[in-house]
Amino acid sequence: MSAHQLTIEPLGDTIEVEEGQTILDACLRAGVYLPHACGHGLCGTCKTQVTDGEIDHGAASNFALMDFEREDGFVLACTATLVSDVTIEADVEDDPDARRINVRDFVGTVVGLEDLTHDVKGVLLALEDGPIDFQAGQYVNLVLPGVEGSRAFSIANAPSDGLHVELQIRRVPDGAGTGYIHEKLKLGERLAISGPYGRFLVRKSRGGPLLFLAGGTGVSSPRAMILDLLEEGYAEPITLVHGVRAQADLYGRDEFEALARAHANFRYVPALSQEPEASDWQGERGFVHDVAKRVHGGMFAGNTAYLCGPPPMIEACIATLMQGRLFEKHIFTERFLTAKDCAEKPKSPVFKRL
Amino acid sequence: MTAKKLGLKQRYAHMTRGLDWETTYQPMDKVFPYDQFEGIKIKDWSAWEDPFRLTMDAYWKFQAEKERKLYAVLDAFAQNNGQASVSDGRYINTLKLFLTGVSPLEYQAHRGFAFTGRHLRGAGPRVAAQMQSLDELRHVQTQIHTISQYNKYFDGLSEFPHMHDRVWYLSVPKSFFDDARAAGPFEFMIAIGFAFEYVLTNLLFVPFMSGAAYNGDMSTVTFGFSAQSDESRHMTLGIEVIKFLLEQHPDNLPIVQKWVDKWFWRGFRVLGLVAMMMDYMLPKKVMSWKEAWEIYFTEGGGSLFQDLARYGIKVPKYADVATEAAEHISHQNWAVFYQYTHAAGFHTWMPDREHLDWLSEKYPNTFDKYYRPRWEMWAQAEKEGKRFYNMALPQLCQVCQIPMAYTEPGDPTTICFRETQFKGETYHFCSDGCKDIFDDEPEKYAQSWLPVHQIFQGNCGGPTVPDVLNWYRMNNGADNMDYAGSPDEKLWNEWHAKAAEAAG
Repeated sequence: MSAHQLTIEPLGDTIEVEEGQTILDACLRAGVYLPHACGHGLCGTCKTQVTDGEIDHGAASNFALMDFEREDGFVLACTATLVSDVTIEADVEDDPDARRINVRDFVGTVVGLEDLTHDVKGVLLALEDGPIDFQAGQYVNLVLPGVEGSRAFSIANAPSDGLHVELQIRRVPDGAGTGYIHEKLKLGERLAISGPYGRFLVRKSRGGPLLFLAGGTGVSSPRAMILDLLEEGYAEPITLVHGVRAQADLYGRDEFEALARAHANFRYVPALSQEPEASDWQGERGFVHDVAKRVHGGMFAGNTAYLCGPPPMIEACIATLMQGRLFEKHIFTERFLTAKDCAEKPKSPVFKRL
Repeated sequence: MTAKKLGLKQRYAHMTRGLDWETTYQPMDKVFPYDQFEGIKIKDWSAWEDPFRLTMDAYWKFQAEKERKLYAVLDAFAQNNGQASVSDGRYINTLKLFLTGVSPLEYQAHRGFAFTGRHLRGAGPRVAAQMQSLDELRHVQTQIHTISQYNKYFDGLSEFPHMHDRVWYLSVPKSFFDDARAAGPFEFMIAIGFAFEYVLTNLLFVPFMSGAAYNGDMSTVTFGFSAQSDESRHMTLGIEVIKFLLEQHPDNLPIVQKWVDKWFWRGFRVLGLVAMMMDYMLPKKVMSWKEAWEIYFTEGGGSLFQDLARYGIKVPKYADVATEAAEHISHQNWAVFYQYTHAAGFHTWMPDREHLDWLSEKYPNTFDKYYRPRWEMWAQAEKEGKRFYNMALPQLCQVCQIPMAYTEPGDPTTICFRETQFKGETYHFCSDGCKDIFDDEPEKYAQSWLPVHQIFQGNCGGPTVPDVLNWYRMNNGADNMDYAGSPDEKLWNEWHAKAAEAAG
């Protein structure tokens, strides 16, 4: 099987495309949304310009893609496949806050290992070829000995310390990668890392109050983002709702409480969904979306929200935010998908990113 | 230093700047008098994101090439006598239904979008509505041209606009669009832009075009491709409209939900004609109505309404009733047309054994139990020379205008009747869905032009069937009645006898 490279302008991202895989499929799988509708070459919604390289038009309808357009290099992304390496100019939003940082390979030495909870391990890596340039919220891919492929983990520290990469890793039941980290990883071990990846980042240019909703180890990216914002002196209100099951699952509390004491604009709300009724817990109880609704009085308009955690939590939070008048333009998400979550539910074209 | 290249979106914004200027000779509220009375609140028209970013210049270029391609196919079709190569002479009846029942709706859509485009004060929706208006005009014209080839040989096509305005069953689609066009601009956008062009379009357009493909009608298939390349824009507009209204103000949610409920039900009733076409009129079947409903509404609509639930929009009221009725409506509609074949502008027939078996297979829960025995009884009566005609004029539903032949949800042996009192009169409905629509706006639907009432009031050419057919411009003995014995059948058989002779 030969694969080709697809470069997506104006993003500058380059992705691998399999033999026979359409441009649309490759882009969607790489997290680049292209407008599309019929999916089989009839409607023309996914029309895209090829600026370099050879493609096969596939079953693009003569009415959806005119001859003069073909001559001008237009293709239907849903039917076009690559014959060589290709560059497209896609109709994607310009994002003034996203920097273009080239992905690099690093070697990191494990210099810290800490049990944050009974099933979350804190891993601190010191980079040998450092520092890594990244935006808070981005992730790295880690190659683990004896584990096929690589595993993605969000960077939990602020970009100001590019010589270290701090990760918070929950043990996935029967997971090979996280199993290795929890059982075998040792101080001094050297691991291959590449990064930074991802477009989950704070749209600082928008200003205004920020709301971070995190579930479990989904707090890694928000932690990096909040540390970064507070270091820079971001003055607008920042709220973090961090949901876990019970007190035994909560970590980072002392640090976030200290930050909240030091910064009047930062509010930290830990939320427990399964804490026993009779316990000494004085804080919020319930799922992240319910707690967020309560602390915000149900109204979210004017905020920008960043959601990070398991898909059901994200879904519940999106609905709560929308019913509180905060819509797609102001909601950013990073979904954690484990291999079994990948069977996606059918999507309607109502939302682009959510 | 060279300037940074503009993105597609910025380039478009630059080209279209200032289209939404504030008027000074007259206040804006006078220039746009209709965009407030419906209760829809818009805080910021500029929040509308034009998803198409198509300039008029580009629009003409695209449409011109589509036309060139389509007309080349139509010419080739005519030169090769394509009309003789379709699957069977019966197939032409689906085109009769399409041309009299659907094509005039394209024209209504053209006028509706032109009006709506004029009366919304945001530039984005105005431009989108204007382009859709032009598309719809193109669609009706190309449909007429495509089908005109068949009009040279077959009955029932020549008086389509006249029939659309007068014939009893054509008042079903006609009143649907009249209702939408008599509403305010926002309701029109939800009714036609969202409910019709997005939620239900796959159940209208796709069955006709796939039906054409399966039955060898390449000219109609080509027309379908030509139109489908516009439909994506229409579908996107429908989605954009509902998102925009829901995001603009929380007070819009209950209004939009009411319209979604209403237009889903109105659309579902109109689609009964398509259901009948799919299950009974296509000589070569594409899929059953029930299968189409499962794919396009239950699955496709399911993911749509799952996403819209985030805004608080619920699945349309009575969607469950419509899904249950997918087992019945095609049969119940065909029964109506069979009984009233003398007043139908296309031909009818009883399904043959192979066709009955197909229906039994596709409708294992209902067909053998409720419908097959009736068809076999009617077929037997035909054989004995006692073909059944219903000579009584049917009672019509005040809202959907369909004869009251549908059954109670969950009870396919009892006809469903509903009624309501308004200003001392009793109004009748086929369903809770239609009754709810009336009860919400009784002043509007009390004025409905109901074909049967009009006949009784003496407004339709006279009291007898021939009088009314004459007023419909329905050519008695050619346009109406069963396919067996029709001039269409005779012509078709002659062509094929000749072809068989030529083949030796």
